[in-house]
Amino acid sequence: MYSLYFDPGLGAMIIQSIVAAVAAILLFSKNIMYKVKVFLGMDKKENDDLFDDINVKDSDTDKTSK
Amino acid sequence: MTTISKHSASFRDPSGYVFLDDGVIKRTINPIYFKQYEALNTSGFFKALFDNKLLVAHKEVSATAEKIIIQPEHIPFITYPYEWSFNQYKEAALLTLKLQKYALEHGFSLKDASAFNVAFYKGKAIFIDTLSFDFYVEDSPWRGYKQFISHFLGPLVLSHYHGAQSIKLISNFIDGIPIKMLASMLPFKTKLNPFLYTNIHLLAKFEDKHSQDYKGESKASILSKKAQLNIVQSLYDYIKNLTLKEHSEWGDYYDKTNYSASAFIKKATIINQWIDTLKTNTIIDIGGNDGTFVRKIERQLQQALVCDIDNNAVDFNFKTIKENKETYMTPFVLDVLNPSASIGFNNTERLSFLNRIQAFAPEATLALAVIHHMSLSGNVSFKMSAQFFESFSKYLIIEFPKREDSWVQRLLDSKTDFKDYFDFYNISNFEKEYSSYFDIIEKLAIQDTHRVLYLMKVK
Repeated sequence: MYSLYFDPGLGAMIIQSIVAAVAAILLFSKNIMYKVKVFLGMDKKENDDLFDDINVKDSDTDKTSK
Repeated sequence: MTTISKHSASFRDPSGYVFLDDGVIKRTINPIYFKQYEALNTSGFFKALFDNKLLVAHKEVSATAEKIIIQPEHIPFITYPYEWSFNQYKEAALLTLKLQKYALEHGFSLKDASAFNVAFYKGKAIFIDTLSFDFYVEDSPWRGYKQFISHFLGPLVLSHYHGAQSIKLISNFIDGIPIKMLASMLPFKTKLNPFLYTNIHLLAKFEDKHSQDYKGESKASILSKKAQLNIVQSLYDYIKNLTLKEHSEWGDYYDKTNYSASAFIKKATIINQWIDTLKTNTIIDIGGNDGTFVRKIERQLQQALVCDIDNNAVDFNFKTIKENKETYMTPFVLDVLNPSASIGFNNTERLSFLNRIQAFAPEATLALAVIHHMSLSGNVSFKMSAQFFESFSKYLIIEFPKREDSWVQRLLDSKTDFKDYFDFYNISNFEKEYSSYFDIIEKLAIQDTHRVLYLMKVK
């Protein structure tokens, strides 16, 4: 399926489950911290946000898959 | 007669290749990639990315059983990762992650994550490798992960700890910064950061440990889609918040110049008039700082390239472009005394600055307050700089600061005993040498300064 025209690195393939587990913990704790801050009214809005968030806006014509 | 030549940078991926058809960039898709291409088309995946200006748009030119040919939208000037400012690099990294997330959600995956898959067009980063998308295989890890770390996360984290100069490293490591070297260059405290520890230090260890496995029989690793999305999201969050430690002082650069506000306006007015008379559509500003003088040009330019040696100035320009949503300006980092070389296989994969600028051939070149740096800091003779400017555009607008100018004085003083060697630096020598290559059309002194502006035309 994948064309193997470059070496993805075996170690890099294996390690991803560990990276993902740590990422999940970080994202989870960040989320909790955010909720606590909002609850305490400490949430400061980032006013000079140069970059958007990660999500791509689906165009109107594209509602094919989810 | 048409001339068709395969692009020298397009040989790594067997899915297809880029070629030049009478100067027009086109892309051949081989049958090995037909299924993917069909799926990306019919599912509306390509269209959504085109509509969001994340992937360079293309139209299908022809389709046979042997090959499909597509023609992507023309990007007038390609800049390479080692010519990007810090925030440009960040934007390219975030774009790649954004595309990978969207791909995963729609049954696809990026099969590679090279920084050379991104270009800057109309003021923002855009993905240019249309054939990088493949089908997502259930529970498989991201093949582009290691490449993402060595091409994107590595240079960005190094920039955070060691300054934006680190971005230049990628010109020596066309396949990305080696992970082991990257890990060794980071301060010890990064090992205490769980994100950096896993994505860089642990990765370096794993790669080291498994690099001897040539049998390829180590167990195929498994990773759920949710887990992969977590990796992508955490990379996105980290990179989005990454900043430079060094302070950007270019915001007030023009407050520190040695001429008054009226002289500044005078200079801008002269340039504006000349550009207007010439009816110029394309320019390059060499040593253009944060694009201040290009923004003063009232004529609607099609394309303005603005380069500077200072990453911070280019970064400041890039932020301004984003804030103003300007689409005609392309900023990049360039040391005029050491412009980007041709690199990669056969020295033709990534073209030198001169190759690219000669192909682009801007109608006019601006060289404001740069000749004294070339001559006095770089020891470049007038003849050499004239030959350089003469090689890529028809008109040259050049500012000459005389010996009395305080900047020139400062540069001369720093030469101490060697100062006499620079006696050649005066306006008559300048005119004499440049006249061998250019006709001086107009010459105007900027009032209240020791600076003169020239409009010249290549002979």
